[in-house]
Amino acid sequence: MSISSARSRLLIGLGNYCASDDAIGPRLIEHIAEKGLEKGFRAIDLSGNPLNLLSYLEPATARILIVDCARMGRKPGSCVFFKANDVKTQKRLPGMSTHEGDVLKILDLAEQMKYRIPPLEFMGIEPQSTESGIGLSQPLESRLPEYAAIAVKKLCGG
Amino acid sequence: MKKTISIAVHHLTRVEGHGNITVNATDGRIEKCEWAVPEAPRFFEAMVRGRHYSEVARITSRICGICSIGHTLASVKATEQALGIRVTPQTKMLRTLLKHAENFDSHVLHVYFLAAPDLLGAPSVFPLVATHGEVVARALRLKRLAHEWGSLIGGRTTHPTTVIPGGFSKLPTVRELEGLKKKLLSAVPDLAATLDTVKALSGAIPAFDRPTEYMALHAADEYALYDGQVQSVLPDGDKASYKVVDYRKCTNEYMVPTSTAKYTKNRLASYAAGALARFNNNHGQLHPEAKKAAAALGLKPICVNPYLNTVAQVIEIVHSYHDSLRLVDELIKKGIREEGLVKPTKYSRGAGAVEVPRGILFHEYSYDKDGMCLGGNCIIPTNQNHANIQGDFEALVPQLLQEGATEKGMEKRLEMLVRAYDPCISCSTHFLDVHFVR
Repeated sequence: MSISSARSRLLIGLGNYCASDDAIGPRLIEHIAEKGLEKGFRAIDLSGNPLNLLSYLEPATARILIVDCARMGRKPGSCVFFKANDVKTQKRLPGMSTHEGDVLKILDLAEQMKYRIPPLEFMGIEPQSTESGIGLSQPLESRLPEYAAIAVKKLCGG
Repeated sequence: MKKTISIAVHHLTRVEGHGNITVNATDGRIEKCEWAVPEAPRFFEAMVRGRHYSEVARITSRICGICSIGHTLASVKATEQALGIRVTPQTKMLRTLLKHAENFDSHVLHVYFLAAPDLLGAPSVFPLVATHGEVVARALRLKRLAHEWGSLIGGRTTHPTTVIPGGFSKLPTVRELEGLKKKLLSAVPDLAATLDTVKALSGAIPAFDRPTEYMALHAADEYALYDGQVQSVLPDGDKASYKVVDYRKCTNEYMVPTSTAKYTKNRLASYAAGALARFNNNHGQLHPEAKKAAAALGLKPICVNPYLNTVAQVIEIVHSYHDSLRLVDELIKKGIREEGLVKPTKYSRGAGAVEVPRGILFHEYSYDKDGMCLGGNCIIPTNQNHANIQGDFEALVPQLLQEGATEKGMEKRLEMLVRAYDPCISCSTHFLDVHFVR
């Protein structure tokens, strides 16, 4: 019943399903499940509970790609791959809860706690809107199949 | 003592969502003392309109990333009542096991990551890695256990997929339950150490008594988390019961100018929901090991110190652990039977309630003859606590002024008070906000 399986490659979607483009991570995982694209990797929807990422940072995990909405100052819909140490968070959060938390802080915690962090990258997608509401904005919705293909290629082809 | 105080905490940290604290006092005279929730409404009740009954819990589970199991269960229960569905005893046992996983998980998060830094004088959990590394490691082990436990029963622990109207879409096997039992048993030392840690820190929990009304589910045969009727108890022990379907009669929502969230009240001007409310209503039905934990931590009903909600959560961690071992044993003994989904027998209006970590949660829906949702209503526990937090502020601030508390000291006590309720004001967005350094 382990939540990880041997040498698994994980595609993890983070975000709030009900906050427009913040849902890009969970929506991508949903799209992959609907289209039967989950082959050679596991697609996991962590939604608004990024602290559970820690459960997957273990020797059985070969590689992780996290898909998340990211404000990077680019055109809405832009997609950028980066590693945690390529960026600096702009969030000013002295505490940590799962809601106000920042996955970058959770990775900091993992490092401090000496977790074995497998090769891990982010696929950041620039939002148009993060207002309350179900449904991606048009620039992101129209590119969902493209994002899925890019993510699968990155995770399994690299 | 005549004092001038000005406290303005915007976006209180280590709570789930956005809440503000404002206190102004001039020469010892309080001019403003306010707990305010400025978050925008999220309109979930509108989002479910026109959706098929099989989709509704999928949507409302998204209200919260921490309590998504509870929202799923409350939603499915309300739908099942509206559709005349009576689930099997096996389904009830598995759902109770899932409910325990959520409460265990959330309480571990609150006690270790959100409340403990206050008791240890740290701004967050991060400095504790250096000073109390083993305590943080233990918290993470317990969180992982809860994650595996919830994932086994719910398909996944955040926004579970297996709980659907009429039963489960996928059942765990006996072998998987045996695996869960083994993992639960391996957590005994961490559970004992949790009690020791909280006992050692309990001296730092402020003394503050403010009698109020406590509302929770109550069942005749168990410490109610998954099922029961609504019960409220007053500080003198006087109890009142309400049917879940009549939840509006005991929640009495109303608007206040300072907050976007609705407030509630019942027999008194405010009431409390959450672990302490459950303890005050149902302490006699705790697992014997949880009763021992309560005795060890000195918690007795009816406890009127809201800061001790955190201690009540620790007692519930022990209860959920032991009651889950009992349920797992019983399920293994009986064997898991493949059961078809119980089908609807009518389409009407129904309400459901469960106890989520932060208190009693109500969902209500009505459906047309095709099973399409006509409307819904959700009353979350944090909203039920807002008026009580305000009441606490109004009692605590004069007391602190009288004690000569400093502005900083008062601010900390008020922040700790709000955190003790473990509020989940809303699930905010989680997007990354970054700039590239290379």
